[in-house]
Amino acid sequence: MALNTRAIKTRIKSVKNTKKITKAMEMVSAAKMRRAVESALNTRTYSVLAQELLEHFGQLEEKHSPYLHVEPVKKILAIVVASNRGLCGSFNSNVFKKAKYAILNKQDIATHHVNSKKNIIPHNNDVSIDMVGIGKKSVLFAKRESQNLIAVYDTISDRPRYEEALPIAQFAMQEFKKNTYQKVVVVYTDYVSSLVQEPKIRQLLPISSVDLEKILREIGADTDQDKKVADEVSSVPIDQFLFEPSLKQIMDTILPRLIETQLYQVILESAASEHSARMVAMKSASDAAGDMIDDLTRTFNKARQAAITQEIAEIAGGAAALE
Amino acid sequence: MIQFKIVTPEGIIYEDEIEKITIPTGAGEITVLPKHIPLITTLVPGQLTIWKKNDDMNQEYKVVMAVSGGVVEVRPQNTVYIMADTAERAEQIDIDRAQIAHKRALELLKEQKDVVDVDFAYIQAKMEKEMTRMRVGKKYKKLKPMD
Repeated sequence: MALNTRAIKTRIKSVKNTKKITKAMEMVSAAKMRRAVESALNTRTYSVLAQELLEHFGQLEEKHSPYLHVEPVKKILAIVVASNRGLCGSFNSNVFKKAKYAILNKQDIATHHVNSKKNIIPHNNDVSIDMVGIGKKSVLFAKRESQNLIAVYDTISDRPRYEEALPIAQFAMQEFKKNTYQKVVVVYTDYVSSLVQEPKIRQLLPISSVDLEKILREIGADTDQDKKVADEVSSVPIDQFLFEPSLKQIMDTILPRLIETQLYQVILESAASEHSARMVAMKSASDAAGDMIDDLTRTFNKARQAAITQEIAEIAGGAAALE
Repeated sequence: MIQFKIVTPEGIIYEDEIEKITIPTGAGEITVLPKHIPLITTLVPGQLTIWKKNDDMNQEYKVVMAVSGGVVEVRPQNTVYIMADTAERAEQIDIDRAQIAHKRALELLKEQKDVVDVDFAYIQAKMEKEMTRMRVGKKYKKLKPMD
């Protein structure tokens, strides 16, 4: 019996240690989450305005910029935003699920929806996807799904800065301009609240006023949520606007910047989601450890009591035998 | 009255109803008054001046800001949105810090003349930005005793 209680005692000790670690991680992620959420929310206004502006440009009939150029899709570039480290609950697997969904439905994603009537369908039904990963975990996904992973950015810090998003955006724009890819999409996690994060697919290039997410939902396979997606293409027709010095010049300066901002926002949202997911995962781990400690303590007490009772019974039995 | 909002990736810097606003754009400095035609133009590093009326009295006062590059969007219904890379109220500019940053950018520029264009352009943009900050900040500080 003494052996049994000692074994339980060691287990309690180890669970307590684990609990301490998860508690510490929870607190660290909570602090990181606060900062990440703050910067994600701060950037949101900018990004929403940028998105609206992009949609204005997307309406233009004449394509003044290579980034507005719509062509039948042969190759898609998918930027998958995952995390560098694990222990963040289902954060990565949700993103990967979404990415896998994109791979399975690449025909739908490849289709350009110019407006409700006009669609440009992909080139002879043969679409391939190349992947760019953000975060170390994206490599695992690419390997598992045997996707063509052409680049990984795993140096994004916990507090992403604008400059860190630049090279990725520039790479995407460059390849799009060279017509290597006819469409660039990002798979990322949208931060809704600290408990709810939603994996999403967003079209980065060509700039379009059509919401890819909504299209996918309409196709019907996506059943996990029916959250309404605001896709009001604003009521202001673009041709009412005056452009100074010229439309072309404005596009050349503005569009790359807006695309960079979009990507930056995506990375921020993902960072906020990652830290929230980790915090929640660590919180439930700490709670589970607490429950386990309670359980083990009870078993320990029972075993100890049983040992004592048995000892007394033995002594009493021994005494009875002597009489 | 104009609904005015200036945002940067760091958040909304200033949001208010204003009388008029002077903006440095790629095609020169413009002043936007109410009922301006819808306009999209580029923002260049420079000084942004906002005219606002006091709540109680009908006195006008100025808000001066230093901005770097970005986009100006004048929407119908008297709405002006500016998406700037950075924006700072003149009274918040730390001139010493701007000077140090400017010097640092100059050094970097000297050191890295041969590095990639991207870095070069970035440093140059940074230098321009810091110079504007210094200019606006100094101007504001000179202005202040006279008010």
